[in-house]
Amino acid sequence: MSGAKGKLTWAAMALLTVALLAFGAMRSSGPSTQEERIDAISQRLACPTCNGESIYVSRASAAESIRNEIARQVAAGQRANDEIVAYIESRFPGSLLLPPAEGVDSLVWVLPVVVLVCGFGGLVVVFRRWQREGEARAEPNDADIVAAALREHDDPTDGL
Amino acid sequence: MPAVVWASGVAGPVGRGALLVGVVAAAFGAVAAITAARESSRGEEARTSRLVPRFVGLAFFASLGAIIAMEWAMITRDFSLQYVQDHGSRSTPALYNFTAVWSALEGSILLWIFALALSAAVVAWRYRRRLDDELISWAIAVICIVMVFFFVLSFGPANPFAEGAPGITDGPGPNPLLQNHILVLFHPPILYLGYVGFTVPFAFAIAALVTGRVGEGWLIETRRWTLFAWGFLTVGIILGGWWSYEVLGWSGVWAWDPVENASLLPWLTGTAYIHSVLVQERRGMLRVWNLSLLLATFSLTILGTFLTRSGVLNSVHAFSESDIGTYLLVFFGLVVLVSLVLIGWRGDQLRSPGSIDSPVSREGAFLANNVLFSAFAFVVLLGTVFPLIIEALQDRQISVAEPFFNRLSMPIGIAMLALMCIAPVLPWRKASTELLRDRLFWPAWCGIAALVAGLVAGADGLAPLLAFTLGGFSGGAALRQVVLATRRQGWRGFVGRANGGMIVHLGVILIAVALSASNAYTRSQELRLSEGVPASFAGHTFELVGFREEKDDRSSAVKALVSVDGGQAYAPAITKFLNMGMNIGTPSVKTTWRYDIYLTLEPPVKKDSGEARIKVFVKPLIMWLWVGGGLMALGTVLAAFPGRRRRPTDPTSAPVPVEEEVAP
Repeated sequence: MSGAKGKLTWAAMALLTVALLAFGAMRSSGPSTQEERIDAISQRLACPTCNGESIYVSRASAAESIRNEIARQVAAGQRANDEIVAYIESRFPGSLLLPPAEGVDSLVWVLPVVVLVCGFGGLVVVFRRWQREGEARAEPNDADIVAAALREHDDPTDGL
Repeated sequence: MPAVVWASGVAGPVGRGALLVGVVAAAFGAVAAITAARESSRGEEARTSRLVPRFVGLAFFASLGAIIAMEWAMITRDFSLQYVQDHGSRSTPALYNFTAVWSALEGSILLWIFALALSAAVVAWRYRRRLDDELISWAIAVICIVMVFFFVLSFGPANPFAEGAPGITDGPGPNPLLQNHILVLFHPPILYLGYVGFTVPFAFAIAALVTGRVGEGWLIETRRWTLFAWGFLTVGIILGGWWSYEVLGWSGVWAWDPVENASLLPWLTGTAYIHSVLVQERRGMLRVWNLSLLLATFSLTILGTFLTRSGVLNSVHAFSESDIGTYLLVFFGLVVLVSLVLIGWRGDQLRSPGSIDSPVSREGAFLANNVLFSAFAFVVLLGTVFPLIIEALQDRQISVAEPFFNRLSMPIGIAMLALMCIAPVLPWRKASTELLRDRLFWPAWCGIAALVAGLVAGADGLAPLLAFTLGGFSGGAALRQVVLATRRQGWRGFVGRANGGMIVHLGVILIAVALSASNAYTRSQELRLSEGVPASFAGHTFELVGFREEKDDRSSAVKALVSVDGGQAYAPAITKFLNMGMNIGTPSVKTTWRYDIYLTLEPPVKKDSGEARIKVFVKPLIMWLWVGGGLMALGTVLAAFPGRRRRPTDPTSAPVPVEEEVAP
């Protein structure tokens, strides 16, 4: 199975993929519109009156007015996205949709990683154990028993 | 009209009566089924078993009677009922009046009960000749007990037939969001069939544990049930996304809202189950794990209902709430407790012999799949309940929402796609690297081709490009299996679990690629359009050609007519619902196979000025979400057809080496 589908071809394919991915990841699609900045910012902020919906999603009037405030700040062009988010958060505490990675709140980030590591770690342990238990061994007469059972089971009409 | 006067008072008593009959019938059904099971376990003739289908049938007709009574009350505008006062109105159009029955909690539970009683009746009918079988009796008993719970819920705390205040002659109608799209007719019932459908495999799992017949028999009995429940859940979720896209006006399909998460949780554990169950059927392994997944799937539907309907979490879907929380929480606790006790009790019988030879095998891939799906379910559950935990511990409010879920689901989704590249071509037991290099060769080129296509179309960013590459690769792997199967077996290469499963994979891949593209490359802009002056954005021109007003006795709508690229006019609208005082925006979408143009009309609308604020979203590949959903449904149906059967005497694992006889 060397040759066309051999290791070398695969290595070349992997290299090509990595190169193309790197090229695509580097290039930028150009500046975004003001509206897209507004969308990006409003996706990070919670609507104060509608429990867990972002300002981007919500059609409530409170969300509308904060969206207008974001639009004003973006149009003014003075602040970066993060600064606008921080400004809104200072005016409406608790409106950050992304829990910060500090204190108890960091558990929400840590626990998923722990679960994934434990899950795959558990798989590795189990496979190790299965490998140690090793291949099952059959006695010579076991094979005869199986052959006899198969003969008995063979349906003479099977080939018709 | 005396006939109408007579008819308008009848729904309440009839409905309450039907629910009471349902409680009693389901309870007697459970008792009869358990008695029958005990009779047959003692080796006696199970005479009681003849009663079981009668009680189940009675419960079914009771649930049918209850839902018809509710429809009747809604259609005849019977304002003596609280539910009709709250969610009915004289001016609601017929279709949305019909769907208003499940537009709030109490009515949804009626729909749930009906779906449940329907499954119970189908089970009783399907196994009518095997009612003296202990396993079947216990399964029906479990379904009946679940049914008792929901009938009691509906008869007591969530009673849709409660009398309202006298003298009320009109109501507000259902939430305006629930009366402007036909999908409200399909999304809830289909989703509920999915939720409820998992009750049947759950019941068989409990029955297997109770009777001690924990072998593979119950799995095979419930194979199609599980598949159809999963299929309905899948279609229900996708229709929900479609509804969100067509109605809510923020151009998205999924917002990680608690109710959406509640439907995703059982879907994730159910998906893990339908994969890992194959390992058990084939190798007799993973018994405890499979039971746990199934029990988890059922308990998560109850937990999800609790979280979203008790008022502990708020959500846009919380169209109404009530004090059923305690009931649901207690029931959830009971389900978990009973499951754990039974698994512990049968522990020694559940231990299965055998081992998996190599991680690079189909079994190994299924295990990896299970770790990913379980971890994903954990992430969704954690994110959904984390604010509750923090509030309980520290009395502080935080939100865990879209950005959190997006950030974590991205790597998990990429890992799932990567697994879908390799898993379909893996043989059982073990695979060599040569074999993989050979089988994955063309699928890998499909991945590279998808990457190149993405780059040519102008895509950037690592995550979406990786998704395209893996999408192409995994699509190639799935197609390879379909092509090989059809070459070998003709049309039969499309049916059966493995082949239907590959069609489902293709649907999932389309959805994954479409979601990555539309999340990463949506362009949006707000345009201030003046009549007759075209504006352009993202290579398209938009021209306001006028306004149209539509009025009826419940609402007044104003539509902005926007011609896209000089062609057909699309009409995003804002509708004012008079008796609710709410303004509801309705988007208008131009769909093509490459992209959607999604238009919303932004308030305030001053049509006399001849100007409109139109928000434009250009979203790539959206149509492929729905095509992918269709493929998933099609694949599920194909998977339910019996495929080519393995000969029962064919070995399920490679031969065991025989010890050489030691020479004397």
